[in-house]
Amino acid sequence: MIKAILIFNNHGKPRLSKFYEHYNEDTEQQIIRETFHLVSKRDENVCNFLEGGLLIGGLDYKLIYRHYATLYFVFCVDSSESELGILDLIQVFVETLDKCFENVCELDLIFHVDKVHHILAEMVMGGMVLETNMNEIITQVDAQNKMEKSETFIFQSTRQDR
Amino acid sequence: MPAVSKGDGMRGLAVFISDIRNCKSKEAEIKRINKELANIRSKFKGDKALDGYSKKKYVCKLLFIFLLGHDIDFGHMEAVNLLSSNKYTEKQIGYLFISVLVNSNSELIRLINNAIKNDLSSRNPTFMCLALHCIANVGSREMAEAFASEIPRILVAGDTMDSVKQSAALCLLRLYKTSPDLVLMGEWTSRVVHLLNDQHMGVVTAAISLITCLSQKNPDEFKTCVSLAVSRLSRIVSSASTDLQDYTYYFVPAPWLSCKLLRLLQCYPPPEDGAVKGRLVECLETILNKAQEPPKSKKVQHSNAKNAILFEAISLIIHYDSEPNLLVRACNQLGQFLQHRETNLRYLALESMCTLASSEFSHEAVKTHIETVINALKTERDVSVRQRAADLLYAMCDRSNAKQIVAEMLSYLETADYSIREEMVLKVAILAEKYAVDYSWYVDTILNLIRIAGDYVSEEVWYRVIQIVINRDDVQGYAAKTVFEALQAPACHENMVKVGGYILGEFGNLIAGDPRSRYVPFCLMFTLLFFFSLVPCLLTCSQKLRPQSRRCCAAIARSATQMLNCSSELRVKEFHLQRFWSPFSQATVLEEMPPFPERESSILAKLKKKKGPGAVSVTELEDSKRESGELNGAGERGPDPSVMAASNASTPSPSADLLGIRSAVPVSAPASSGSLLVDVFSEAGPTASSGAVNDDGFLRFVCKNNGVLFENQLLQIGIKSEYRQNLGRMYLFYGNKTSVQFASFTTTVILDNCLQLNVQSKPVEPLVEGGAQIQQVLNIECLTDFSDAPLLNIKFRYGGALQNLTLKLPVTINKFFQPTEMASQDFFQRWKQLSQPQQEAQKIFKANHSMDTEVIKAKLLGLGMALLDNVDPNPENYVCAGVIQTKSQQVGCLLRLEPNAQAQMYRLTLRCSKDSVSKRLCELLAQQF
Repeated sequence: MIKAILIFNNHGKPRLSKFYEHYNEDTEQQIIRETFHLVSKRDENVCNFLEGGLLIGGLDYKLIYRHYATLYFVFCVDSSESELGILDLIQVFVETLDKCFENVCELDLIFHVDKVHHILAEMVMGGMVLETNMNEIITQVDAQNKMEKSETFIFQSTRQDR
Repeated sequence: MPAVSKGDGMRGLAVFISDIRNCKSKEAEIKRINKELANIRSKFKGDKALDGYSKKKYVCKLLFIFLLGHDIDFGHMEAVNLLSSNKYTEKQIGYLFISVLVNSNSELIRLINNAIKNDLSSRNPTFMCLALHCIANVGSREMAEAFASEIPRILVAGDTMDSVKQSAALCLLRLYKTSPDLVLMGEWTSRVVHLLNDQHMGVVTAAISLITCLSQKNPDEFKTCVSLAVSRLSRIVSSASTDLQDYTYYFVPAPWLSCKLLRLLQCYPPPEDGAVKGRLVECLETILNKAQEPPKSKKVQHSNAKNAILFEAISLIIHYDSEPNLLVRACNQLGQFLQHRETNLRYLALESMCTLASSEFSHEAVKTHIETVINALKTERDVSVRQRAADLLYAMCDRSNAKQIVAEMLSYLETADYSIREEMVLKVAILAEKYAVDYSWYVDTILNLIRIAGDYVSEEVWYRVIQIVINRDDVQGYAAKTVFEALQAPACHENMVKVGGYILGEFGNLIAGDPRSRYVPFCLMFTLLFFFSLVPCLLTCSQKLRPQSRRCCAAIARSATQMLNCSSELRVKEFHLQRFWSPFSQATVLEEMPPFPERESSILAKLKKKKGPGAVSVTELEDSKRESGELNGAGERGPDPSVMAASNASTPSPSADLLGIRSAVPVSAPASSGSLLVDVFSEAGPTASSGAVNDDGFLRFVCKNNGVLFENQLLQIGIKSEYRQNLGRMYLFYGNKTSVQFASFTTTVILDNCLQLNVQSKPVEPLVEGGAQIQQVLNIECLTDFSDAPLLNIKFRYGGALQNLTLKLPVTINKFFQPTEMASQDFFQRWKQLSQPQQEAQKIFKANHSMDTEVIKAKLLGLGMALLDNVDPNPENYVCAGVIQTKSQQVGCLLRLEPNAQAQMYRLTLRCSKDSVSKRLCELLAQQF
């Protein structure tokens, strides 16, 4: 099971946090900090797996991460998941984001955190993998956007936004 | 065209985010956020009804603020309004908010459940998926109650869309995990299993997680999934890389699903049906063959996906442990990976080999890689990989290579990461014991262990070496000589002094011929000044050596006390010296320790508790229990009741002490297994304890004064305490277990419940460096008798987060006991005098611990009263007498403990001149036996 999915930048600023187990707000923030602390001090070409931080469950959990440019993508998983499989899943997630945002960058994640959540929801649900096929995921996201567009069009034509 | 168009977002939201990003300081950011929160709050509370768009914008802002780490305690109602809307965008954001900011308010859940119900019955697949997502993400009991019967119907219905089926499968899984009692599969079982045959690979992907979980819990009901899984796997494995179209990932057909299928099969033994088994073996062979083929792409994703399947296949082969041919191939494959340039593969190969090492078919094959693994331990740059190498060395160790492996692990310890030292120490100690052929090697190894990593050598380890030396005559002389040599070193670790103290105390006479040995008491005496708690064993030791040394020893003790008389601490020491100098203690102290009844090595028990890869498997445990039993030479003695009885008959205080500690604190595991991370979950991290008072350690200290009071992942608190008359002094040792500094470290003693005590302390240093320990002294005065204990509140910042912890300080009324010796006649006369009903407190209770005589005696002595022999007509019973010293008065107390070994019960009676004391002592003691 995937316990949590965290994205933060090179300075530890969270860009997405999704917990599939309930923690209180404070603990979640601490987990993010601890995970950043663990992951960021590692060299570039060491392995992509390490034992989880103490707060997230330690020895029984693994942090599986990839570092892309300014962002760390970290999945915290239990022993029922294949490490390399999760590494591929991260890759699928990033490639999907890249397709959806067209050359995704950190700013996209900042300004569209809701969209990132929706995309992730097409892949992972309640900590388990729902879909691994990128085209299928993008089809779903596209369908969402179409519905969204048809609705927002009605809004924005009539509104002064502030 | 990008799937997300960037221009159509909410402008208000974008402006707010930009504002935050432009903030120059944390303060400015917080100010801006508070302003926004106030704004949103007023908008939500305002009279003007908000339209869906505004609500959505504000809810998005709240989500953003939450991500930045600010607590959001409102907006849930607006989110529920949004998710009840008919507009897709509003519904979507409403559900998102609820999924991220789960709230257990039942009124709210009721409203959410209503909306979910509507969406599930809407037959709009998008709405259904949103609702299912919400259930899966929140997964509360109320939701399970409302939907557990509905979801399976959606999952297996013929007309359900594939995407909804996928969501329904995982939604059901989540509900099953949270409330298995509410999810009744019965009639659905077979249709769920058949989802493995579904045409849509996405449905299979989702369903397999559900089926795997259900199979683990009900293997029999779901065993038909084995043949279905095998045929599905076989179709994937044998397909050309283009057959599966979109599910082909970098030229590998459906890698994720293949892994999951192989995992599912690991829930079951090898298939019984020959045809199914043949097909599966064929699959596994194909997977192993593919690993040798040239890669279809140079991209790392290609090899990743391929190897993901390969590692799962190897796990399955190891799980079956029945096909020698496949096992050897697996081992060879892993051997190749051990030297692969990809660190990930080296890591996984070491991990898999660790399990392979326990198979009889492949143990020898694994052993051939020993040099590579040792090399990995020495040269890998990544500590995670080195840790796996250490695990594997541990797993592949047997009598043939134990010396080499132990030597390598010892030398690794010198530079090992702090985080793994304790575990390494345990492993070395276990291997040294398990494979010791000559025990001088064992003694050398453990002493080296203490020398190299003394701080990480736990009580269990050094108790064990003493036990083994005591049980083996042939090594006693060597051990005495070696520890004596070791103690000559200019600086010795505390644990070395302890081991030395005990061993020389017992067997010092064996080296009495050595001319240098008359210095032993001197050098030990000096250490006394530092390790005051060791007085008893040091004195024992000096007495064992030579009669004339004993006088020296006393003289030194006296002069040392005078020399440092300015310090009041020493008065307490002096007091202790006298106590041990009394003829009474000399007599008992001079007896030899009895052999230890053999029991499961406490070290193994400790490592067993440390889960995780490389921990001891059950069979291994049994193995080593057997082996260590026979090796210690105690195997034949252990079960022999006459010996047990003999050891019970003598009452030497050193052994009682050892055993007493061991059983009073069951291997002290709950406290000292701090790096045991599993238990963190149950308490949701160290901060969670902030409000509640932690009194876990409290009861362990009723009958002892020193030990670890508290330990979590960050902090360890040790205690040493001494009491005399109505005064006490407690030394608190706060150890920072992390590598990060604790800031603003403050401690406060809270006496609100306990005004009968006067406690004084100096503030501690506000900074505790990573790995450092600071000390605090509490001076305690007992004014009058008391029941509640003082509390100790500890606050500090760890990586920015405030930690707040409140502990019960183990100051109990019995600490102020003065033992009173009296004859039988006197005892019963006083017993009768205290005959008023309130003066007596009595409890009958079940034994929670061993009813061993020595253990009970040790506890009663630890309690601080005098244990009176030949008083009670029934020799099975224990009676004690003592006076509690408080500033205002003295309280005489008599105790009688009547064990009933058959019923495993005790009756405890206390009579005291003050009724509140009887009551309190009775409460405290009833939990000790």
